[in-house]
Amino acid sequence: MTSRHRLPALFALCISVLLGGCATTSISLQEVRDFADQSAKLGGYAELSTRFRDTYAREQLYLPPAAERIGKETDVKRRAVYDDFGSAQKAVVLYMQTLSLLAGDARYDLTDKLDDLGNGIKANVESGLEQKHVLAYTGMTRLLTRVIASGYQGRSVETMVRDGDRDLQTLLEAMLTLTRFYAKTNENEKKTILGIFEVEIPFATRPQDRMLVTLAKVHYLNKSAEYKILDKRYELALQGLTKVSLGHQKLRENLANLRGEEIRNILASYVRDLQAIRTGLSANPN
Amino acid sequence: MSKGIEENTQRNAERNAEQHAEQNGLATVPQIEALADQLSVCADQIHARVMKNIKAHNGGPVGDAEQATARALLDDELLLRQRANSLYADAATYVVKTLGKPQQHVMELTAAAAEKIRRIAMLGDVVGLVGGLLSLAGAAATGQPVPILAALDKIRSHVKAVQADMPKKAPAKPA
Repeated sequence: MTSRHRLPALFALCISVLLGGCATTSISLQEVRDFADQSAKLGGYAELSTRFRDTYAREQLYLPPAAERIGKETDVKRRAVYDDFGSAQKAVVLYMQTLSLLAGDARYDLTDKLDDLGNGIKANVESGLEQKHVLAYTGMTRLLTRVIASGYQGRSVETMVRDGDRDLQTLLEAMLTLTRFYAKTNENEKKTILGIFEVEIPFATRPQDRMLVTLAKVHYLNKSAEYKILDKRYELALQGLTKVSLGHQKLRENLANLRGEEIRNILASYVRDLQAIRTGLSANPN
Repeated sequence: MSKGIEENTQRNAERNAEQHAEQNGLATVPQIEALADQLSVCADQIHARVMKNIKAHNGGPVGDAEQATARALLDDELLLRQRANSLYADAATYVVKTLGKPQQHVMELTAAAAEKIRRIAMLGDVVGLVGGLLSLAGAAATGQPVPILAALDKIRSHVKAVQADMPKKAPAKPA
């Protein structure tokens, strides 16, 4: 008898706890929202993907015939997978945009973005990504479809982060790995172009070479300044992706206590770092 | 009954062989990346070696024969860089390529080659060693074990031969 009497009271208590939780959630998750916003806006990756794709076009004129032939073959490989490089990023950006919306009170319609994701990664060996990355992409697409299509009903930051963390981390890891390949490819490009001048300029010692040597030196200085700026961009892009990954990991670890002082301070510091990285990337646009 | 067991055994053997091939092969993204890194390091060493030779002239004229050697090595350096970048693209596309030799071995040999390029006294000796590296880089791109093994042998014999030429201790620097 008494237990039947208690049940509705227990229900009421649960509901009030849930509602209370929701009410405070939308006010106090500002740091989560800022972090998600900054993560969604992170630059560098897309631009460096394109630069990687276009490596051959920049190198072509400098290469001796044998090296040029290999460069041309590699060009075909890079172009074949370029589209897939962008898919991983699209999924991560949409995830962060959705997370930002869940952490705030504004409502936007994200449904049209889902179509974009639908025809994403080609799941075969030709693909730019490993099988686990393709799986992560599919998992992420499914999660986002569920969250966005349901109009965020019954979804909270906590469940989104819990369900999304593993796939998100895998996608970020793929982006980090690819960015590392972009940087290493750029390093060989830089050393190719600068290296030719380093060897040839000292050989040109005849008086009639003077004009040629002057032009070569000017070209060398310009190129070396250009690559110095680019080196910084690769570094910033890698830093940014690492920050996003670490920040989300912190979120995942502190799910039970997202309103705690400590996690809010940590997230705030990531937000500042990500802002600084963005500023650095836009200071020297390529 | 026993036929089923036999089939199972064979399937297991095939699976083991596959795993074995993977362990010994250049089959994963980090392994492809590691070889590309190593080829880039060798290219760096070739470049440093050529530059050292040029600087030894202190801005004075460099003989035609020496210029020709330096240019040939520069071409080889650029070729190695293209091979390395081609492997980075492979790693990005995760095209599986198989090296018939344990990965560790390939890494050790190319690391030894890079070290030799740095230390060899005669520029001419560098040329031979770089030839072996280029064969390896080319063979790795095809994924065929036989040319890869041949290229590895070539590098090994060059690394050994050069070692024989080198003095036991570094000589005192000539004034």
